[in-house]
Amino acid sequence: MNLFNRNDKTGETRQQTQTPAQPQPTAPQAQPQQPQPRAESVAAKPAAPPPVPTPAPQTPSAKTGAPMASVISKALKITGQLESTEDIQIDGQIEGDVRGVGVKIGQNAKVKGTVYGDEVELSGSIEGKIEAKKVVLNGTARMTGDIVHQEIKVEAGAYISGTLTPELGKSDSKPALKPVATSASVTPITH
Amino acid sequence: MLTLTRRSEAQRPGSKTAPGMSEAPPSLLGPGVGIQGELEIEGELVIAGLVRGYIAALKLVIAPGGIVEGDIVAREVIIAGRLNGRVFAPSVTVEASAEVEGRLFHTNITVAQGARVSGRMPWRPVNYFETLDQLPEART
Repeated sequence: MNLFNRNDKTGETRQQTQTPAQPQPTAPQAQPQQPQPRAESVAAKPAAPPPVPTPAPQTPSAKTGAPMASVISKALKITGQLESTEDIQIDGQIEGDVRGVGVKIGQNAKVKGTVYGDEVELSGSIEGKIEAKKVVLNGTARMTGDIVHQEIKVEAGAYISGTLTPELGKSDSKPALKPVATSASVTPITH
Repeated sequence: MLTLTRRSEAQRPGSKTAPGMSEAPPSLLGPGVGIQGELEIEGELVIAGLVRGYIAALKLVIAPGGIVEGDIVAREVIIAGRLNGRVFAPSVTVEASAEVEGRLFHTNITVAQGARVSGRMPWRPVNYFETLDQLPEART
């Protein structure tokens, strides 16, 4: 990738002499996605690709590729670990642990395993455990297992079999914050 | 799990080719999603994140930026991201932005100019995929 970027830049600088003004306004939007394909085409046949027409066909494909909310539809079954740094909607079946930020588990979804997250909203069923700062159990939720949380909301109709423990972060996240604070108060020893 | 191609074949004559595909929107695994394990879907799956493991789908799209390490069994596979592993699909499309290392078992294949493919692309008749009960052992 780095190599390509370099190639790409050198290619640009060569061509910029021709049209210095045009590539720049389009650049900030498309740049992150651009380097790969263009670099490849540069590598394949150095002379051919002019700088202006190439971004046009690439940006639509980049648009369809980039802004997506992750959806695990009901037809999908996953056996294994799932990790996500973005919000995720689960309507399918998962056997294994889920680690996410915002996790929404739809009505027909089934999860066997532990669901970790900042915010977990359950309308389907979990057999396992939830560990999240904020937990919402909707009326259709079916939870078999323990819930470790800071905040919880349970709607009428939700089925829970397990214990609720409002202790998330007492062992995990708060100690991570405290040492920083104490070290900060200790450090100003210097003049 | 590998009988998926058969199952989907069985669905076809029932005049309900579409429901599996259109009823549920295609599953999307965004750039921030990583999965290790087995994925089975009777429909379309778009991967823009990272998947390590086995994937069975009707249609699989590896979007630009998506990475798959493992074997894929599907009817149709479109690769615009990175793949390290094997593909078993009657229809395979390798886009210009793709980087493929491994084997692409196919009946019908399209490789765009600019794609990086290192590996073999063995041709197989369609019925090879329909009778594919077990994947051949990976030879590395």
